[in-house]
Amino acid sequence: MNRIPAVSASNVCLQFGDVHAVKNVCFELEEGRFLTVLGPSGSGKTTLLRLIAGFQQPNKGEIFIKGQTVREVAPNKRSIGMVFQRLALFPHMTAAENVAFPLKMRRFDVRMIPDRVKKYLHLVRLEGLGGRRINELSGGQQQRVAIARALVFEPDLLLLDEPLAALDRKLREEMQLEFRRIQKELGVTTINVTHDQREALVVSDQIIVMDHGEIQQDATPLEIYRSPSNPFVANFVGVTNLFHGMLESLEGQKVAIRISQQRLIGTLKSEKLTLNQGVSVKAAVRAEQVRLFRGQSENRDCEVYFEGRVTDVIFEGERILYELSVAALSDALIRIIHHDQQDFSTFELGEVVFVGWKSRDMHVFVVD
Amino acid sequence: MNQPVSQKLFFWTLVVISIITLSAPTLVVLGASLTSGNIIVFPPDGLSLKWYEALVEKQELQDAFIRSIWVAIICVFISLPTGTLAGIALTKYRLRKGALIQTYLLLPFTIPLIGSGIGLMLVFGEVGVLGSLWPVGVATAVINLPFMIWAVSSSATGLDPDLELAAQNCGAGPVQTFFYVTLPSVMPGIITGSLLMFILSLNEFLVSLLLVDARIVTLPVQVYNSIRSIITPDLAAVSVVFIAVAMLAIAVLDKLVGLEIFLKSK
Repeated sequence: MNRIPAVSASNVCLQFGDVHAVKNVCFELEEGRFLTVLGPSGSGKTTLLRLIAGFQQPNKGEIFIKGQTVREVAPNKRSIGMVFQRLALFPHMTAAENVAFPLKMRRFDVRMIPDRVKKYLHLVRLEGLGGRRINELSGGQQQRVAIARALVFEPDLLLLDEPLAALDRKLREEMQLEFRRIQKELGVTTINVTHDQREALVVSDQIIVMDHGEIQQDATPLEIYRSPSNPFVANFVGVTNLFHGMLESLEGQKVAIRISQQRLIGTLKSEKLTLNQGVSVKAAVRAEQVRLFRGQSENRDCEVYFEGRVTDVIFEGERILYELSVAALSDALIRIIHHDQQDFSTFELGEVVFVGWKSRDMHVFVVD
Repeated sequence: MNQPVSQKLFFWTLVVISIITLSAPTLVVLGASLTSGNIIVFPPDGLSLKWYEALVEKQELQDAFIRSIWVAIICVFISLPTGTLAGIALTKYRLRKGALIQTYLLLPFTIPLIGSGIGLMLVFGEVGVLGSLWPVGVATAVINLPFMIWAVSSSATGLDPDLELAAQNCGAGPVQTFFYVTLPSVMPGIITGSLLMFILSLNEFLVSLLLVDARIVTLPVQVYNSIRSIITPDLAAVSVVFIAVAMLAIAVLDKLVGLEIFLKSK
């Protein structure tokens, strides 16, 4: 494969004084794919998007669109459509005028503008509402106008800057699928920014997890979830139990560690070749991979288990989140997501039960 | 809901006093203008519109009125672009020494009118333009500019900075962004400010007094001159016309941007 990526970045840095907003960011995105940049607020994800849009210039590094550097290209000359966090629709124009604006500015043939606007209002399912002013539309309808405005000139790249963050959950999930549908229908290369891990997992072909301006992992949603490359990703995506410990021995990827007097076996995820005994490590186990059972006879497949006391029971509808305090691990709190179709609320607050997991589900990372 | 009677009484007394105090000058002038007698009194001495008829014949009052309108138009013509650009710039950009520039632009407001009036008189006298009407317009624009800047700034403060980025992202260059997006977004402030400038300039007395000569008196100065000789009810009538023009301006404002926005724009 020798295709030119639709978008790529090499060593992009943006620094304000001593603060690195974006640091050594490199990635490639193939044409037609949906990339989500996931990270907490202040992780540099929105800044990265603004660098791509051209609203800011990197101090170092280059951004390429279709293989061409865009350093010298002004934002209004880039073929990029963007949906802003607060949408930034023009309040003094109607929905249709908003959608027509990029066509006018980009000097499309005046005779074709009405048809094109109509086509895109249809695409976002707003037929007949073109004459409405922006403040006469609902939140969801405004989202759709913003999408139509970003796509109407058929840009090479679509940028989404957390436009769904302000919506209520039901509408947000509906719009996530809507973005996905439109993106697949048009096949437009898309970069989405969000702090919502669920959204990232649902809509993306590729996810970049960012923290402190640096890329933590760049992989498919499945890899990000199943095989996080460091404790930050493990903790940020999904509900994860993290333990601090020390390395004891290593055999291939199978690693023995010591966590408060207990010797545990896990799977090494760090790519360190020379590891010494006593190196400090972090071990991560996903909350849904932890099992709870009453007697040892009920243990199905857990290679590691301890006694623990239930300290919290949170009913979340389709699942229950338990929190247990484990004496053998210095009273560490372990969170467990429990899906039990037959019998909800099996375990009571204060009850002493067994908590365990499989060795291969415990991911071990070396702490630098 | 169940307030004691005394509290209610106190409250309504305050309201009535306020309303009377605020509207008294207008009501007195209106009443006096309707008198059928020959001296200006309140309550009027019989009712008639004869002093309004008399206005039609008073050429000097009409001329002065038209001059005042001209002054107001010149004032808006100057302050609209200046105040709009300054208002937008002061809000949008974190300028170096921004606070200093802001204070400097608001300076005319803090200097007593008589001070700026004399200053302007000296300047215009030096340049040798005293005796024309346009310096009066320029002067009212200068001393009232802070109002224009305030009106535009308060509109621009509510402006989402992403709007301009969105315009660029849509393919608009800097000039297009300004005319298609920035300007329409601060339009309520511009309309408010312009009408305010118009009214203030129309009413400006002190500075006009210092800058006009006998040939180019503006209406407030003309009225003042008349008062010094004989006070006739036609002065009350002309004041009512004056008030009517100001009210018309406010009605236009309400129609265009809504009085609510105007009141909020400080």
